[in-house]
Amino acid sequence: MSDGRYLKDRTRLYLLFSGVVFVISAVILLLPYETVYVRDEAYLDVFLVTIVVSVAIFFLGTLFNVLIWMHGKGLEGAPEGRLLRLLVRAARLVLSRRFGRIASVFAKDALYLSKLKDRSAMRWAMHLLILGGFMSMFLLDLVVTISLDFLKYQPMIDDSGWAKLWLRDFGFDFVGLILLFGLVIAAGRRFIIRPKIVRTELPDAVSILFLLAVVLGGFILEGVGIAGEIRGHQLDNDYSFLGYAFSLVMPADIGRYYDQAWLIHGVMSALLIAYIPFSKLFHMIATPVAIEADKMLPEVRSA
Amino acid sequence: MRKLDISKLDVLALMRYDACTRCGECTTTCPTGGEAQDVELVTPRGKILRLREFYKSQYGMRAKLLGPKEISEERLKELASRAYECTICGQCKTVCPAHLDTIEMWENMREFLVANGLAPLPAHEQIVKSIENYDNPWMQPRTQRSRWSKRIEKEVKIKDATKEKCEVLFFVGCTAAYDPNIREMAIDTARVLARAGVDFGTLGNEEGCCGSTLLRTGLLGSARGLARKNIERFEKASPSVIVTSCAGCYKTIRQDYPKVGKVNARVVHVAQFVNELLEGGKLKLDKRVEGVVTFHDPCHLGRHNKLYDEPRKILEAIPGLKVVEMERTREEARCCGAGGGVKTAFPELAQKISSLRVEDAERTGADFLTTSCPFCYQSLKASIEARGSRLKMVDIMELVRLSCTDPV
Repeated sequence: MSDGRYLKDRTRLYLLFSGVVFVISAVILLLPYETVYVRDEAYLDVFLVTIVVSVAIFFLGTLFNVLIWMHGKGLEGAPEGRLLRLLVRAARLVLSRRFGRIASVFAKDALYLSKLKDRSAMRWAMHLLILGGFMSMFLLDLVVTISLDFLKYQPMIDDSGWAKLWLRDFGFDFVGLILLFGLVIAAGRRFIIRPKIVRTELPDAVSILFLLAVVLGGFILEGVGIAGEIRGHQLDNDYSFLGYAFSLVMPADIGRYYDQAWLIHGVMSALLIAYIPFSKLFHMIATPVAIEADKMLPEVRSA
Repeated sequence: MRKLDISKLDVLALMRYDACTRCGECTTTCPTGGEAQDVELVTPRGKILRLREFYKSQYGMRAKLLGPKEISEERLKELASRAYECTICGQCKTVCPAHLDTIEMWENMREFLVANGLAPLPAHEQIVKSIENYDNPWMQPRTQRSRWSKRIEKEVKIKDATKEKCEVLFFVGCTAAYDPNIREMAIDTARVLARAGVDFGTLGNEEGCCGSTLLRTGLLGSARGLARKNIERFEKASPSVIVTSCAGCYKTIRQDYPKVGKVNARVVHVAQFVNELLEGGKLKLDKRVEGVVTFHDPCHLGRHNKLYDEPRKILEAIPGLKVVEMERTREEARCCGAGGGVKTAFPELAQKISSLRVEDAERTGADFLTTSCPFCYQSLKASIEARGSRLKMVDIMELVRLSCTDPV
């Protein structure tokens, strides 16, 4: 392989990487943030800087992890070139007739966790709650952002609109609760029950506590908003049943700290994203990829 | 500073190291790391985390920004040694919720250790030399390979496949050919094939080691050489079917040889083949064999090749024999402890594991413990003797032979 080719592959890969980060950052910065109710714009600015940097770190960390895979045998050329070719092949595969098979493998083995179900119902439920909660939260966020910030869908904006009450208020609390349930089981199992197979080192503890802090922080923030009657948070809004429950134990003047609480939750969420490639949470990406790669490779067998 | 060369680790293996969720499901059922000695570094999770830590410290983002970290020779050697305390039984693959193909991972990890000068272990080097010099791991001369057949040469017609065309090639394997205590396996197999009227032959002294030992210890280059030679021999003999009586040879020829060259014959294990003979009515089991039997699934046959039903169907077809299952059976079967070079490098550990398996068999109340792999047979028999167990170790072909031929 010539140095020229290597340089070309490298340049193309990093250009692609920069392009992805740029597009995502642009979307983040250009969103109108209709549902962000901080009174001091500076808090929003700090959050935006943090999230853009966190997203860049997430992609950079993921890229470096994947480039380590590309050092392995079985492919030709420099790691950067291998990755580019693999990305093209993967895209072709996803767009091919084999998409159905890819999707079914993903659904059965990576989402439904078919194997774990047979081995431990409790762990399966725990994992499903965390994964399901996490994914539903992400999807819901996407739906709300698109309908609110792009489509300006009125029932999502109005305080008494069906979409606002059922998706933004009830929906987020419900999926948050699912996630919280899963995390509480995981934390209880890891720190209290401590079965023999569980081995807790710092990264394990940090991952779970980080997630718990972000999820609980979300409910607390909502409680602060309701108790403090911040715009978009109606008092006695029992659609946001968990946020509402938190609001009941909060003083009325807690609203003074809404901006700070919002920033802490936002920054923690952003940092969690940045932390993924450097933690055990990276398995959220690596495991489905490995499962798909394993299942989609044709078996070599003698005639 | 030693920089690890990770170019020998598979792309897929590197993905799998990251895909490990550290759940620990593999740790309790691991026969060597969990059950026999409770050492985290020997367990699949322990090995994955340690190796990942090593290569990430030299290839990860921090290494790119601040330079690679030095890993002490002591820690590297510790990992190498622990990595070989694994029988590559595949129990971890069965239980892994992340669907990691750990069998491939361990074999590949050993290839990586060899490439980095950390393996093979001294105990394995002797075997490697023996295979290189004598074409078998038992330091036996090549001219003695077909000696097992002398005892039955008047009774059974075994063709010389290097000279005569035969339908079925019986690939005997080094252990059954050379170990005087295991030879009966080859003899019984030949008698059963003859009884069914199978047109079969062997490569005689020309048969070479299949290379399984080399592959499982990470010596891929040497193993490929052996594979190529054997494929050439198969080509010359051109049988329709290759029957192996060793589960290790079966896995190697069926799964590993196609990566080197095409094997133009159907590769089957003798348990599969005999079951087909029974189902096709070509072999009749009409003599009673009284007793209770329990079957030990060899890892290379069961977890590695998913052959669970065939040996059981054979046993159930033998009149008078009652088949009972051990608590851990089929894909959950405990390993015998001999595979993956453990018996050679860590004989005490192997003995400890096989003793656990014999205990499993004892609990069933069976009279016979049977299997279909010479290596499992060897180690389980030794444990039965060491424990003073009332169990009798028999090869599955011995039971078939007793049921289909007149007493000899």
